[in-house]
Amino acid sequence: MNVPGVVETAAEVARGRRSAVAVAEEALARIEGGDGRLRAFLEVTGEAALMEARAVDRRVAAGEDLPLAGVPLVIKDNMWVEGRRATCASRILEDFRPPGDGTVAARLRRAGAVFVGRANMDEFAMGSSTENSAIQVTRNPWDPERIPGGSSGGSAAAVAARFVPGGFGSDTGGSIRQPAACCGVVGLKPTYGRVSRYGLVAFASSLDQIGPLTRTVGDAARLYRVIAGADPLDSTTVRTGIGDPEAALSRGVRALRVGFLEEAAGEGLDPEVAADLEKARRIFRDAGAEVVSVSVPRARVSIAIYYVIASAEASSNLARFDGVRFGPRASEQDLLSLYVESRTAGFGPEVKRRILLGTFALASGYYEAYYGAAMRARQLLRDDFDRAFARADVIVCPSIPAPAFRLGEKTADPLTMYLSDIFTVPASLAGLPAISVPSSLTRTGLPLGIQVLGPRFGEEALFAAARAFEAGAGFPDALPPAVA
Amino acid sequence: MVRRVAELARLRLPETELPLWTEQLSRIVGYIDQLEQIPEGAFGAGPAGAPTPLRADEPRPGGGEKALEENAPRLSHGYGVVPRVVGSGD
Repeated sequence: MNVPGVVETAAEVARGRRSAVAVAEEALARIEGGDGRLRAFLEVTGEAALMEARAVDRRVAAGEDLPLAGVPLVIKDNMWVEGRRATCASRILEDFRPPGDGTVAARLRRAGAVFVGRANMDEFAMGSSTENSAIQVTRNPWDPERIPGGSSGGSAAAVAARFVPGGFGSDTGGSIRQPAACCGVVGLKPTYGRVSRYGLVAFASSLDQIGPLTRTVGDAARLYRVIAGADPLDSTTVRTGIGDPEAALSRGVRALRVGFLEEAAGEGLDPEVAADLEKARRIFRDAGAEVVSVSVPRARVSIAIYYVIASAEASSNLARFDGVRFGPRASEQDLLSLYVESRTAGFGPEVKRRILLGTFALASGYYEAYYGAAMRARQLLRDDFDRAFARADVIVCPSIPAPAFRLGEKTADPLTMYLSDIFTVPASLAGLPAISVPSSLTRTGLPLGIQVLGPRFGEEALFAAARAFEAGAGFPDALPPAVA
Repeated sequence: MVRRVAELARLRLPETELPLWTEQLSRIVGYIDQLEQIPEGAFGAGPAGAPTPLRADEPRPGGGEKALEENAPRLSHGYGVVPRVVGSGD
């Protein structure tokens, strides 16, 4: 099945070779045919998508130049899109209707994109397997008995299955890159401050970023170009120019120092992941890069730092869900019971766990020992990265410590689940851009991913290195078995 | 301890589930305790983030009535009904 990617679809629609309506109809037919098995979508918004596609066709006919003309996209269910619900796969927001487009959706719409549906996710983006969705379980297209990764597992599975050429997720500690690696697609987390979060339901505000999932690095660069840039509605966005990410793709790596992360190569690494990392080293060397080793010592404690800071911020952000302003309200007489019962019924177990952990870390008497220590350790991690980036232009490590695990394998053991993010959390804590690129299939046919990290606002170098790696890796351009 | 934290978090944990919550949270907190191993002297002056840029303080139209109508748990005559807070007699 030949399903053109983002850039190719946009070119075809812009040149009038295919209509946006035809492209949308084909995407909807693929979803209809295949999503019964994968359950990547919480809702397919076919009628609205066709209406948007008709509007795109009119704009193309009127001569508008649209970088995403008629490109069908899947959007994670924590992002605001006009006319659609945004439930975070949570009971507490099951009927939430946003007041309009968030900034990312508005920019995509302006560029000609068409929104075909809402993607499943871990509730409030808390998880690494999408099993924490309060609604449904999503399956990995490469092996339906395995997780698609998470929390943006629905978006990753939908792109891997080629239902749509691209999708969007949010990444707080790896929620775009980890599912991208598990599903054999590209996933980009831009620099903190690069992309507006207006219209993204907040989880951990010092970490959350929105980014694309696509089949190729070039497609990711196109989607990134459209959404990046300062926004008056999100005061954490910065005015630093985005350069020309698509031109950067063809720069090559001859002028780049590619640093391999020493801390990622230690014992305990899955042998196939270790072999994959060696393959990456060869690819960069063969492409002409200067390959060096870099050390980020505090990467080893990044999961500990992350679960204090992200949980603390989550406990604060999610305090707003109390049954008074949003969602189902428990019928209780006194106000305190109303809060408690609405929250107890509305949140799932993992969300409660993070809220409890965050409340503990911020509690009087524990604040300094946990939140204070984590904030200082985070600064030390950032300093480590600054030193590493003095020796290398980009840093390379695996995206995931092992291929996608089986459904249910880690649900009883939250700490083991948390450790699946060991390679993605460091870039999140340091606010760095990072991209996961599909690298190999394991002996049993499961995808692995290699991650490239850049310095803050260094997305251009990131795209150059990621494109060179993609060309050398030769990840199979085949339809995953569950949808073939 | 877990019961007290749940109270602060406005969550109710059934008594029968307390042992499991306690065990899982203790394991996670035990893992986090490795932050203690970073020597005090290694800590710098603390995080020095860039100041938050502020936008001009100008009035802007809100998402207003439609959003309220669609999302309020309870509505009456176009107003969101909130629980009685004062003078409820209890």
